[in-house]
Amino acid sequence: MMPMETALQGRRILVVEDDFLIALSMCETLKGAGATVLGPVGRIKDAVRFVQDRAGDFDEAVLDLDLHGQRSYPVADALVEAGRGFVFTTGFDMVSISKEYAMHPCCSKPVSTSALIVALCALSGVCEPGLGNGELPPG
Amino acid sequence: MDAGQAPTPIAGVGASAGGIEALQGFFQGMPRNPGVAFVVVTHLSPERKSLLSDILRTYTEMPVHVASDGMRVEANNVYVLPADAVLSIQNHALLLRKRSSTRREPKPIDIFFSALALDLGERAIGVVLSGGDGDGTLGVKAIKARGGLTLAQVPDGHGPRHPDMPESAISTGLVDFAVPAAAMGERIVEFVHSTNMMDGLAADSQVMHQDEAMVGARREIYAILRNQIGHDFGGYKTNTFMRRVQRRMQVNQLDSLEGYLEQLRQDPQEVGALFRDLLINVTSFFRDEDAFTRLAEEVIPKLFEGRGAEDTVRVWVPGCATGEEVFSLGILMREQLDRVQAAPRVQLFATDIDEHALGVARAGRYPAAMLEGVSEERRRRFFVPDGASYVLSKEVRELCIFSPHSVIRDPPFSRMDLISCRNLLIYFGADVQNQVIPTFHYALRPDGYLFLGTSENISNFGDLFASIDKKQRIFRRRPEMNGAARLPLSISGIRPGYVGGDVRRPNLSGMALRQVAEAQVLERFAPAYVVVNHEGDVVFYSGRTGKYLEPAPGAPSRQILAMARKGLRLDLRTVLREAQEGGRSITRDGVAVEGDGGRVQIVSVTAEPLRDREDGGALYIVLFTDEGPTLSREEAAGRANFAQDGTALQLDRELRDTRERLQSLIEEYETALEELKSSNEELVSVNEELQSTNEELEASKEELQSVNEELHTVNTELNAKIEGLDRANNDLQNLFNSTEIATIFLDRDLKIRSFTPAVSAVFNILPSDRGRPITDLSQRFDLPSFNQDLNEVLTSGKSLERQINQEGEQVNYLLRMSPYVSSIDRPQGLVVTVVDVTNLTRSETRQRILIAELQHRTRNLLGVVQSIARQTLDGDERSDVFIQRLAALGRVQSLIGHATQQSINLEDIVRAELQALGSAGDGRMTLAGPVVPLNLEHVQITALVLHELATNALKYGALKQPEGKLRVDWTIRQSEEGSSLLLHWRESGVPITEQPKRRGYGRELIEQALAYSLNARTELNFGPDGVVCVIEIPLTASPMAVLEER
Repeated sequence: MMPMETALQGRRILVVEDDFLIALSMCETLKGAGATVLGPVGRIKDAVRFVQDRAGDFDEAVLDLDLHGQRSYPVADALVEAGRGFVFTTGFDMVSISKEYAMHPCCSKPVSTSALIVALCALSGVCEPGLGNGELPPG
Repeated sequence: MDAGQAPTPIAGVGASAGGIEALQGFFQGMPRNPGVAFVVVTHLSPERKSLLSDILRTYTEMPVHVASDGMRVEANNVYVLPADAVLSIQNHALLLRKRSSTRREPKPIDIFFSALALDLGERAIGVVLSGGDGDGTLGVKAIKARGGLTLAQVPDGHGPRHPDMPESAISTGLVDFAVPAAAMGERIVEFVHSTNMMDGLAADSQVMHQDEAMVGARREIYAILRNQIGHDFGGYKTNTFMRRVQRRMQVNQLDSLEGYLEQLRQDPQEVGALFRDLLINVTSFFRDEDAFTRLAEEVIPKLFEGRGAEDTVRVWVPGCATGEEVFSLGILMREQLDRVQAAPRVQLFATDIDEHALGVARAGRYPAAMLEGVSEERRRRFFVPDGASYVLSKEVRELCIFSPHSVIRDPPFSRMDLISCRNLLIYFGADVQNQVIPTFHYALRPDGYLFLGTSENISNFGDLFASIDKKQRIFRRRPEMNGAARLPLSISGIRPGYVGGDVRRPNLSGMALRQVAEAQVLERFAPAYVVVNHEGDVVFYSGRTGKYLEPAPGAPSRQILAMARKGLRLDLRTVLREAQEGGRSITRDGVAVEGDGGRVQIVSVTAEPLRDREDGGALYIVLFTDEGPTLSREEAAGRANFAQDGTALQLDRELRDTRERLQSLIEEYETALEELKSSNEELVSVNEELQSTNEELEASKEELQSVNEELHTVNTELNAKIEGLDRANNDLQNLFNSTEIATIFLDRDLKIRSFTPAVSAVFNILPSDRGRPITDLSQRFDLPSFNQDLNEVLTSGKSLERQINQEGEQVNYLLRMSPYVSSIDRPQGLVVTVVDVTNLTRSETRQRILIAELQHRTRNLLGVVQSIARQTLDGDERSDVFIQRLAALGRVQSLIGHATQQSINLEDIVRAELQALGSAGDGRMTLAGPVVPLNLEHVQITALVLHELATNALKYGALKQPEGKLRVDWTIRQSEEGSSLLLHWRESGVPITEQPKRRGYGRELIEQALAYSLNARTELNFGPDGVVCVIEIPLTASPMAVLEER
């Protein structure tokens, strides 16, 4: 079993989250898992521009489904176009994700640290089975 | 279009009643890019806005324009006459004239076509579609006269519903193609292509005339025409004839004469078309003005000389066509009539073989473009403007009598004072002219005048007519030079091979001596005789007939019975009759003739048919032979007595009485005959009157027809509108039925005008309640102020809404009363709508309960978290901080829960934070600022930041020191980027504190959280007197809007 502290060693992860406090906590969590964190970015417009301009600077992203009352699908589109995997986080029910985006992994808030790391590992393909604790999203 | 290229051909398209279908067919049958411009002229009433251009757009891909003044006409475009104007054209640009009168222009198509013909000549195209009168006929003539192309519609799937208009055009014989509307496009395009061929053909024509083969072909065309039409053009001028033939070849797209000949052999219709083309006669008012001036000066005054009110001046205009020449003469006559006193009656007989041309002439209505030769003064005096046309005044029109007549075939008119035959002879060859000119001589009175066209002449008939004005071709009839009247030749005159000639009597100069001797013997010794014809008119007298004949009283007469002396008449009549009936010699002896001075001569009277008559009527010689010397009356009586006894004497007396009675009877009979003759004259004039009345009736009928047509069009349009109205009505009805919104329409007296079916759920209403005041009805809701509200809306004109909650029945209604507004300002009534909002109200209630439940759970959850934290972090120093932060969150949730709107006042947040620290009440703190509502989105983070500031103040700053002071104030700053909230947190009375080295979570929150979430600017300073924090939060539009609403 890979230790938590190094699970995301060497990974560069972009955090897109509108709530400052949650963003702060999430950055801490990811740093704790050995990742390099970019962001946080809180607005759809800024996030889209970031993804378009600096896609080479990061490997995966954590994307809040709701950014200031709006769905963050434009950011998701930009990420897909840039070929970057990402994990949705949401305070809503998971069924509220639109069908076209339902194949992307999703973690519900409050986000469990291990669930987030497992989801990110799964994206990068370095995850070992047995690390997770069964909190992988159904979608 | 390049300047070097030939100008675009323009097609004028005339249509009237039933024209829409025809236009549909016309444009749908049009090939793409025909290279022609189309101008559509219709009969529209000026009051109605026409949708024609919109309709046409659905039939054609070409751009459709509503014509405007000065618009240039371009190929492959369609221009439509607007309803309230008259269209004309000049230099390829449309001229639009608004009409002042409300009546529609009677002949707009004629007006446009004639202008088109003037402007474009051979490139003008006239298309006559469905319509109910004769509009377009003159226009077609104008176009044809300038060499353009003409088409008229014949029936197929697209009408014409009203065939009068195209039929009238077709019957002029000037229409090149009578085809269905859909087939016209193709013909027009072919025409456009072949117009370029024209020049080449014209050059060929010179060669054509000289070519022997061509002469043969021409002869064959003559023969075909003669056989099929019965009209011989052999006498026509070759050049004129061949020009017309060429024109037909062009229309048929044939480029060789042989090909055309073949077409003539195959197609009898083409023969008819050629025949009509050959008859085109282009006239205009006062064509050759000098000639008319000369006529007015020299001839017309002479016609009136010596004529009183009882007399008639008679003028004949053969080949009058559409009447311009006749009316020109009529105007001259009318002008002359104004100059003389006791003016004689004037009659102008205008004749033509073309009935339709006569119809146009009878109407006496001409487009302004055709009145070029008429002076302004005459135009004012003799024409009545009617729209863009001019109608001839009644005083000229009533002088003219039109009738169909062929100058070649029919017997001529007679006793004419003037014959005006301009530009008709040019169409006739020498032999027909040789026939016609003697006809004119016959028709004229002695000293009558003949007026020919400037290119015509009397050829070799100088002995019949004397020239008055050589240049202007005015001639006077010479008296007959010899005894043989030149009676008009019979129809045999145009038989092929007939050589018209001068028929003259043989000269008597070679008379032999014997004949002279015999003549003298006859004269000296033969009895007196006369030669009479079948009617008894003397055609020859011998010498010394005075004893037997004397001039009869009254007008000179050659009637032998009238001239016979007393006693002779009865016997003369008897012998003449018997000689005529028996064809042999009859003699009556012993006839006593009473001469001058009472002497009586006994004569024997012989009548004998004249032998050796080859042609003409029979003639009779009447011989008078004296028996003995002249006697006195007594001697004669004695001689008679001598021979007879007493009985005879008595019989003789009886006989004499009878004779006298007979004589008086004969005289009576002759008087009666005279009377009959004059009655006949009267009848003739009555007949003429009738004729002119008939013409007037015809004109009225045409007018009626056009009115009828207009009505028809109006009706069609009305029907379409009614259909539209029905549809709209049905839509509305369906809308009412399907909405289930109870709607009642009330008039100003609150009486029910109409209502939707859903109303019955709210009011106790029946269909029969229409017209009853709504206040009479009982309602199923409880609104005591209902009547009052209705009246208020009616007076104020503003809508009112009332929500009604029926307590007992759990039903909620939303009642809306709005003014019923039409174009007038004042409300014409009311519209009351009642919507059942029961479900809506229930949902609202449920939502409120849900929100309260959510609040409750959130706060409970926070409470649980707090308690878990307290247990988990027991005794830890940080647990207090955590719990306080959690409490701040709880307060915010509580504020949010109590918020009635989507915003919370800033002051409430600040005050709640300070109160929670237990220090709001003392005087060390000041709060100042306007009411600023914050979005719920802003509230939480702002409250947390304020919490951190307050906690810091309590731990290290102003609230810790007894003399410390805290002032929180805020303002709204307006700048170019928008408004923002500017908040100052000032602590004072705090001893100098060091700037904390560690940037804790609290400080991070203060400095970064607002910037991150709200784009705010935060500045935290540890000043000498305490902490100063400046926060500027940009306000989005929504809080301001909320502010203003308050």
